[in-house]
Amino acid sequence: MSVTNSSIHTGIVSTDDKLKEKVELSILFDFYGELLKNHNKQIFEDYILNDLSLSEIADGQGISRQGVHDIVKRCSKQLKECEEKLNLIKEFNETKVKANRIKEIAQQLMELSSLKDEKDIHQLSEIIELANEIMEEL
Amino acid sequence: MAVKIRLKRMGQKKAPFYRIVVSDSRSPRDGRFIEEIGTYDPTKDPSVFNINEEVAKKWLSNGAQPTETVGKLFKNAGITK
Repeated sequence: MSVTNSSIHTGIVSTDDKLKEKVELSILFDFYGELLKNHNKQIFEDYILNDLSLSEIADGQGISRQGVHDIVKRCSKQLKECEEKLNLIKEFNETKVKANRIKEIAQQLMELSSLKDEKDIHQLSEIIELANEIMEEL
Repeated sequence: MAVKIRLKRMGQKKAPFYRIVVSDSRSPRDGRFIEEIGTYDPTKDPSVFNINEEVAKKWLSNGAQPTETVGKLFKNAGITK
């Protein structure tokens, strides 16, 4: 797609509550989605990940719009309860910040000009490598 | 043909990233879309939204319907009122 730069709007947007909620629910779904019943999971996925409207889902499933709304509400509640009990997202975020910080510090040390020892450099690269692996495996 | 402008969730698990796509309203689930017109990254603080404004306006004037969420993004970016 070739476009002129002038027509591209790049910017920071204030996040609307509804949008924020959808993003939050999509993260909850990443962590706990497998715990939802299959039928509900599909509906929730369409609503949250595929951005379909309630009535579009209702038409596709042959149920009422209100029915879809209730399922989405129930799933959201269920996923939020999982996080309240297990805190996996909270821990994920905290670990990510810490691993990032480890990497940052190691990189700063690497850049120090006083560091000439091969062994030091080797160990610092290993620390960076490990921090990267931790972040990927989270 | 009814055309919709939707968010499409991409990105790795646990790291949401969205494309803003134009798609046929009858095939919402198969992942096909007509054109990608922007991206939305909520993992940055504040969120970052990129949109090809010219193309977005062209689709809107041709009657494409943005979903509620995309409509909000457009409004925040000043593309629609």
